[in-house]
Amino acid sequence: MELTTLFQQLINGVSIGSVYAIFTLGYTLIFSILGIINFAHGAVFTLGAYFTYALIGSRFGFNGIFANAQLPFGLPFPLALLGGGILAGLVGILIERVTFRPLRQRGADPLLTLVSSLGMAVALVNLIQYFVGAEAYSYPSSVLAGLPPSINFGTQEAPLIVRTVQIVIAIISMIILVLLTLFINRTKTGRALRAVSEDATTSSLLGINTDRLILLTFFLSGLVGGIAGTLVGLSVTITGPYFGIAFGLKGLAVIVLGGLGNIPGAVVGGIVIGIAENLLPASAVAYKDAIAFLILFIVLLVRPQGLLGRALIQKV
Amino acid sequence: MDQFITTYGFLIILMMLQAVLALSLYLPLMAGQLSLATPGFFAIGGYVGAVLATNKFMPAPGTTYPEPLQSFVVWLASIFPLTATGDAYPLGLVLVEMVLAGILCGLVAIVIGLPALRLRGIYLALATIAFVEILRVLSLNLPITGGAIGIFGVPQPFPDDATKFSYIVIALPFLLLCTWFVYRLERSRVGRAFIALREDELAATAMGINPTYNKVLAFTMGAIMAGMCGALTAHVLNTWNARQGTFDASILILAYVIIGGSRTFLGPVMGGLLLTALPEVLRQAAGIDGLPQWLSLFLSDGRLVIYGFLIAFGVLLFPQGLITPDLFERKQKAATPAPVPATSGGQP
Amino acid sequence: MNETILEVQAMTRRFGGLVAVNNVSFAVQRDEIFGLIGPNGAGKTTLFNLITALTIPTSGTLLFKQQDITRLKPHQVAARGIARTFQNIRLFGNLSALQNVMVAQHVHTSSGVLPGVFGLPQARREEKHVREQALNLLEMVNLADRAHVKARNFPYGDQRRLEIARALALQPEVLLLDEPGAGMNPNEKAGLSSYIREVKEKFKLTVVLIEHNVPMVMGLCDRIAVLNFGQLIALGNPAEVQRDRAVIEAYLGDEA
Repeated sequence: MELTTLFQQLINGVSIGSVYAIFTLGYTLIFSILGIINFAHGAVFTLGAYFTYALIGSRFGFNGIFANAQLPFGLPFPLALLGGGILAGLVGILIERVTFRPLRQRGADPLLTLVSSLGMAVALVNLIQYFVGAEAYSYPSSVLAGLPPSINFGTQEAPLIVRTVQIVIAIISMIILVLLTLFINRTKTGRALRAVSEDATTSSLLGINTDRLILLTFFLSGLVGGIAGTLVGLSVTITGPYFGIAFGLKGLAVIVLGGLGNIPGAVVGGIVIGIAENLLPASAVAYKDAIAFLILFIVLLVRPQGLLGRALIQKV
Repeated sequence: MDQFITTYGFLIILMMLQAVLALSLYLPLMAGQLSLATPGFFAIGGYVGAVLATNKFMPAPGTTYPEPLQSFVVWLASIFPLTATGDAYPLGLVLVEMVLAGILCGLVAIVIGLPALRLRGIYLALATIAFVEILRVLSLNLPITGGAIGIFGVPQPFPDDATKFSYIVIALPFLLLCTWFVYRLERSRVGRAFIALREDELAATAMGINPTYNKVLAFTMGAIMAGMCGALTAHVLNTWNARQGTFDASILILAYVIIGGSRTFLGPVMGGLLLTALPEVLRQAAGIDGLPQWLSLFLSDGRLVIYGFLIAFGVLLFPQGLITPDLFERKQKAATPAPVPATSGGQP
Repeated sequence: MNETILEVQAMTRRFGGLVAVNNVSFAVQRDEIFGLIGPNGAGKTTLFNLITALTIPTSGTLLFKQQDITRLKPHQVAARGIARTFQNIRLFGNLSALQNVMVAQHVHTSSGVLPGVFGLPQARREEKHVREQALNLLEMVNLADRAHVKARNFPYGDQRRLEIARALALQPEVLLLDEPGAGMNPNEKAGLSSYIREVKEKFKLTVVLIEHNVPMVMGLCDRIAVLNFGQLIALGNPAEVQRDRAVIEAYLGDEA
């Protein structure tokens, strides 16, 4: 394998890996505080992409109730990105209020909550389809106005192409990761979040408003997920509302590999899986999608706490 | 009557098959395991049926396999003859395919289950999701499964019946057999062990119940059921492809059990029957005059939205599903006279 | 003739930095009532968990009837003949009282799936036998008239008795009772000692008992082991233990 091809694959791997990473951060935030996987995250991720698409003033296609709908204004991309994320975060809050909180108040088995979030995911994704149809959408190229489509870090004979989109994604992912880590480690609210993830009961006895914090977590998770959705939509086309479910499933592999509830783990896991997918020999490229799940299966059997997680001890 | 069968015959067959799938998810659930692997075994079973019936296992024309594989496939082809469209495929062979599918799925279940069932709760659910996804990608790419297109033209035992309702001679007994099996299991020693594991695995092991053995047993039985159903369904649908074994299918089947009832054998059956019929009911409702267009469209196309919300809120409102064991108990209580209350306190 | 039926040798259990059980050794004689006492958090329940294999020792050995059972799994330990009740009652809540007791006879029956489902003669015989045994045990604890009531609907005291009946269904030689008197009203507690003695005689058991009610333990047990901070600080008959300096200090603080 040519060295430049190897580098190219690595770059592709890191690029998609960083998107997996920020997507999975949404899972991780909620897992670390509630101990459950929020399957609806995949739907929120999808919504983010669609919200941003609407906010930049694009028009929706021919199917669905909102056929041919278009917002009367169009925001510049960075604003739309943020806006889409915020709207997604709000949906996250709605989901928390409507399903997670009642189940939590009943002391329901975490598996029931998981199942409920699964139902929400399916319902929301299909709701999108109902409203705007199942077509593929792509962001118009004007979104990255002024920037060249790609940069060649190599030479004419041995090109090492990095698409501008990939750089943008990598930068945004880094920013999000840094901001989140700072937030969790340096702010009062962040420390409160860590406290609740260690022990919710004691935290509330100490005066921490756990309900409010949980809402905040869902908002952040949705925000991050929504932004991830837009970034993916930017990098490849949005192939329809279901692309969130597929991502949602891959995110499971990432979070388990990195270690459930572990933030750096989500990043490590994302990059590892991204690279693993892209380093396949040409003959095996068709099996790319199975790699993440093969890794998931093996990790579960061999080291369920993942790379960076702590071993779980069951209390009798 | 004929009109009814023409319109709903196919749906009724599908309803029965989905009810069996619901039972196949219920079996591991009885032992406390949320396994989403059913569609994987369903897909394997379907491929077994489709591959055997269409002789897809034969080498490409002009080529041969190395011995002894070549002799084996020739022998296989003699047992499963290629049937021209319009000719009836022997019903007995369909049953043979079902048995073979069951055996294969059982073996795969043991191989996968032994390591995987050491996992609990969500980890197990994730492992089964991974299993289904890996199978799906494999089936999209292997030549024997027909790749992305799948396998077409699966021969029909009832070629003259366009409604496929004739399948009821297998589908109904199959459903009844599976239902009776689970009903009897619940009341037997092994079934009690499963339920104890579900209630409190720790206490169950402290009372002498071998968790691994029983969990693998439950998982394997579910797999066999799903595999057999797959082989039959491949014939009913006339075609088979990777779309039969997807994560979405896991969700649907989960809905049957969660909503129908997760604590008694009748729940999954009812759930499977009703929820498979639901889209048709909704479509009829959508056709009612005077409904606003958005509502009508929602009812006809929004089936998955409705299922999704049913699951999401169903676990909240009906944690045990619609059909609960209590319903049976109430009938039992009505039949027996009330016991004399014992004195509490005193001798322990 | 007394023989050692259960022996704990240099048992240690660490949870990360915390040592829950620290180098504990003692031997329980057949047919005795052996008490295990100590302040809260002394490691008594952990010791029970170690004996029943619900938790794995960090180091140490466990012998049952002179055979090494240290590496066995919980269901295997139960099959050998060691049964227990739990500090926080762990009944099968959604199963009836009868079903709870029937389940515990799993190891003494063997009908598999097919015989059970098809109602083959052996399976039916076993089922009948298991049911009768279970009803007898329920009779013994005065719960037979509510055999079909769900376990979680029983009042607390009845649940404790049901848990004991379930443990007895295992046909054990050693019965571990984890705070059987907890949550009982004075009336129930008064009968508990004689009830335990009765059960022991009737089923020819060796009983190991964790209890906080010191007078009861002193009156009931043949020998007592005292744990504090995971360590064995005294072992002997009630009179010896009562006078032991270390025990007094542990319970009342240093009075020197």
